[in-house]
Amino acid sequence: MRRLVLVLLCLAAACRGRDATGASGGTLIVSAGADAETLFPPLAMGSQGRAVIELLYDKLADIGPALNTLGDAGFVPRLAQRWEWSPDSLTITFHLDPRASWHDGRAVTARDVQYAFRVWTDSAVGAAQRSSLAAVDSIATPDSLTARVHYRVRTPEQFYALVYTLIPLPAHRLEALPDTALHDAPEMRAPVGSGPFRFVSWTPRARLELAANDAYYRGRPRLDGVVFSVAAQGATVAAKLFSGEADFLEQLSPPDFAQLAAHADVRAQPYAGFDYGFMQFNTRDPRNGARPHPLFGDLALRRALTMAVDRATLVRSAFDTLARTAIGPFSRTQWTADTTLSGIAFDSRGAAELLDSLGWRIGKDGIFRERHGRQLAFSILVPASSRPRQAAAVLLQAQFKSAGARVSLEQVDFNAFLDKAQRGSFDALMGGMRTTPSPRGVRDVWGSPAPGRGAQNSGRWSNATFDVHVDSALAATSTDAVRAQFRVAYQAAIDDAPAIWLYEPRMFAGVHRRLNVGTLRPDAWWSGVVNWSIDPSQRLPRDRRAASTP
Amino acid sequence: MTRLILTRLLQAAAVCAVVATSVFVLLQYAPGDPFAASLDGTDVPPSVRAEWRARYGFDLPPTERFTRWAGALAHGQLGYAPSQHRAVSAVLADAIPRTLLLVGVALALGFALGVLIGLLQARHRGRWPDRAIGALTLGGVAMPEFLLGLLAMTWLGARWRLFPVAGLVSEGDVAAWPMWERLFDHLWHLALPAGVLAISVAARVARHQRAALLGVLSEDFIRTARSKGLGEWAVLWRHALPNAIGPVLALLGLALPSLVGGAVLIEKIFGWPGMGLTLFDALLARDYPLILAATLLATLMAVVARTLTDIVAELVAPRRVRTS
Amino acid sequence: MAARTWRRLLDDRPARAAAAVLACASLAALLAPWISGYDPTLQPDPVTLRLVPPSWQHLMGTDPYSRDVLSRLLHGARVSLGVAAGSMLLAATLGTALGALAAVVGGWVDSFVSGLVDVLIAVPRLLIVVALVATFGALSPWWLVVLLGGTGWLTTARIVRAELRDNLQREYVLAARALGATKWRITWQHLLPAVAPQVAVAAALALAAVVPLEAALSFVGLGVQPPLPSWGNILLDGADYLTSAWWLVVFPVTAITCTVGAALVLADRLRAAIAGEEQAS
Repeated sequence: MRRLVLVLLCLAAACRGRDATGASGGTLIVSAGADAETLFPPLAMGSQGRAVIELLYDKLADIGPALNTLGDAGFVPRLAQRWEWSPDSLTITFHLDPRASWHDGRAVTARDVQYAFRVWTDSAVGAAQRSSLAAVDSIATPDSLTARVHYRVRTPEQFYALVYTLIPLPAHRLEALPDTALHDAPEMRAPVGSGPFRFVSWTPRARLELAANDAYYRGRPRLDGVVFSVAAQGATVAAKLFSGEADFLEQLSPPDFAQLAAHADVRAQPYAGFDYGFMQFNTRDPRNGARPHPLFGDLALRRALTMAVDRATLVRSAFDTLARTAIGPFSRTQWTADTTLSGIAFDSRGAAELLDSLGWRIGKDGIFRERHGRQLAFSILVPASSRPRQAAAVLLQAQFKSAGARVSLEQVDFNAFLDKAQRGSFDALMGGMRTTPSPRGVRDVWGSPAPGRGAQNSGRWSNATFDVHVDSALAATSTDAVRAQFRVAYQAAIDDAPAIWLYEPRMFAGVHRRLNVGTLRPDAWWSGVVNWSIDPSQRLPRDRRAASTP
Repeated sequence: MTRLILTRLLQAAAVCAVVATSVFVLLQYAPGDPFAASLDGTDVPPSVRAEWRARYGFDLPPTERFTRWAGALAHGQLGYAPSQHRAVSAVLADAIPRTLLLVGVALALGFALGVLIGLLQARHRGRWPDRAIGALTLGGVAMPEFLLGLLAMTWLGARWRLFPVAGLVSEGDVAAWPMWERLFDHLWHLALPAGVLAISVAARVARHQRAALLGVLSEDFIRTARSKGLGEWAVLWRHALPNAIGPVLALLGLALPSLVGGAVLIEKIFGWPGMGLTLFDALLARDYPLILAATLLATLMAVVARTLTDIVAELVAPRRVRTS
Repeated sequence: MAARTWRRLLDDRPARAAAAVLACASLAALLAPWISGYDPTLQPDPVTLRLVPPSWQHLMGTDPYSRDVLSRLLHGARVSLGVAAGSMLLAATLGTALGALAAVVGGWVDSFVSGLVDVLIAVPRLLIVVALVATFGALSPWWLVVLLGGTGWLTTARIVRAELRDNLQREYVLAARALGATKWRITWQHLLPAVAPQVAVAAALALAAVVPLEAALSFVGLGVQPPLPSWGNILLDGADYLTSAWWLVVFPVTAITCTVGAALVLADRLRAAIAGEEQAS
């Protein structure tokens, strides 16, 4: 029976392999762990959705390889061929490339930019990054290829904030619809964009297919198409790469690395990572947010617990060599990163002495510390969806035990995790942050809880020095000034120990050997796909695509 | 017969109503909502999430939300699934055929295989083939399905490349293939997930079938048949089986809900997004409209399946024969 | 009659073997703190002693956190078997009680209980448990017992109700009632002991169903919380290393398969003993 199946399979494969050569450029198959939830640009938050959208749509300009966010240094023209600043920097005039067009043939005009701005800032649409466009007052369209952006106020990152966030949308197709109906409009399930790839089909939760845009104004991509193939289980995502059913995997996990040796046609490509993981202390009492946390309201205890953790061993065990120890509330890839900052070093004796001096002494059981009859005990909230955070939590638990703290783990699904984090009902949590090229995110995550900052500061940590220097940094206009201010801010955060900074994963993409991939940008691995290619001599039967239909 | 169908229909309605209400009540206590995960990022202020909650009625009191939903349901509207940004009916329209295919094929295959194995065991009862097969079926029932699935996916799929690792169809020029090739490709992708489930079903069915057959073989009419000179296989096939298959069919109807439940992990592992996985993801995303609709549908499917198997059992082996 | 059924079972070789397996597993679980060589949560050296294959120091190897797998398996047996046994007892008790209630009282109580059974049987059990875990958060093993026991009594209730209803019509029961004995008394003194073997069958089957369910729950990360080991937990850690660290999967799977298999064999032989007894009488 099996032989019959194999014969049939060979026949089928032979039939399919009939036309493996030809002018076609091959198909890239990306093995994805999650589906793009929506293709409506203002609402796309997950990296999956962003990848698809940024292949479908072009922005006005793209951030440069150095990922600089001050002014417009390094930015590469896209839909905007060139731009000019007014002398007072409150107006930037973008001149659109006359060759740029939508996938349905119509030209990209300034009205599309203006429309997109309106949609993005409409509160009824609920765009997640509305606040990034807060500095923009309006966009005028003196003629069809000129978009004049008027700013309310000058900020060092005003260019980056506009260009990185705002994606021009096809006004001629969408403006007839009310704003609130846009996100689930049929149009948005088969979007028309301006980018190097056009939409072909989408089977939700299974696969999403894009094909090369032959009329792309910067030249047709070398690939024929891109397919995002979704699998819900981590093991399956990697297995698809190893079995030859996929060409690319965004991030190889440590267990996947062990399998690389057994599969000769897959290689690991390193690129800079933008993530950092930490264990965050809740500085407020979970039961009564007005009171400080009975344990973590005390800086000395936080420092003592930080000293008790051997971060190097933790990182080595959980990630082998695939991560580095984190330094502070930033990723080394951010341009404001500073590796010379002094952290709280691992010192188990020092930690023990400090805990003793605080009154936490080893109790009768000989293991855990007590003070006034209360045990040094707390729980760490862990999202069940993240294996690295789970691993780090288990390792931390053991390390805290040797320091005399009784730690319990609370594993919940991601939704519940976010809910508890936002409501502050936790002692400590395993947090992970994916940073952006701009360092301004640090204000939302670690700034004091107050209007305009600290919206995501689950631990409610507050430090005036940190706030003041972050504000100064975000207002400074030269890279040196920004770096200097952030240096002071970061050091203040490290010294005040609102969290134990644990790991910065190194990113390794799993790439099929036949794929020629340039450098991968840390914030958007997909930014170079338009230049990727597959060697004609290494085409596979599955590279054949159906004849393109407009 | 008509009485059976009617009572079952009434039962189905009552069951669905109770399940819907219970699930709704239960979910009121669940923390979180569908927007938390998709709106999580350094740039997203909580006010945005509050707006989304308000738009989909998540800030209404529970009773009002339930009555709204029930009213919409009465008009045939299943609502909108915030976690997938599309109508619930669209989500289910995608998921149901896939589950029906997976579970249907697994059940059919497993049932056929199980009956045959049970027959084989009954034929050689007491001797070593019976014991050997018995040990295998025991292993098949005892081994957790998801593990079998993981092993199959890793070895048969990724290592030895005999079957695709996951997905519904192959990549490549699929649309241009002839119909039979596309069908074959789809079945090839179905092979591993349905196969794993079928093994599980077959093992259970085989054990029940063997027990039922052995129970019937001691009856008088079997002795009569043998004394007429019929061979052992003829006795088994023509006389014992029709009387022994009834309980097994009834078992199948009862096993459907656990099959759908067990299929959740198989669907997850093999990238076969059916009802089980949809419901599972919806539960974790707190997507109420989708959870309610999917649960109702799963319940309905289970009741229908039970009714069908009972009807078939009645037709194949009417009670009057079985009690003789 | 029930006593004779038990005796038949004791004479049965496969049943004895299965009971021995279960007894061994339970004994290992109970004695775990004394017979396991290491503390199951101890991570002696998470860098160099990570994922060590089976050796003399670690008979079943170590896991990704350098914890000894054998010790975790033994302590995990406590949790997995404990949860299974606890939920089995709960399910058996609930099922018997509700089944008896339905049969003895009859009327609307009967309709209600039967209806409830029909409703719950239609919903996949894994999803019920997932829904409850999603609602109430991470569960301690005690709550798992309640959860799994609370969803596993259905077949027992059905069996008990059917058997009791049949027996309550029998001649000797009617005669006893005519002499003044209440239905409850008869049920308690005679009928329930008579139906005990069938309840035992259902209980063994319930046990066989719970162990893989707990493993599946841990596999999606919603089961027993670390560092408490359970067989499903060990599998979860091992699922990432399926091809490289085989010992993380092979040993827990063997444990689960043997335990579940033994429970199933026991249920089978008990059923055969009941059938044999019915034929003989």
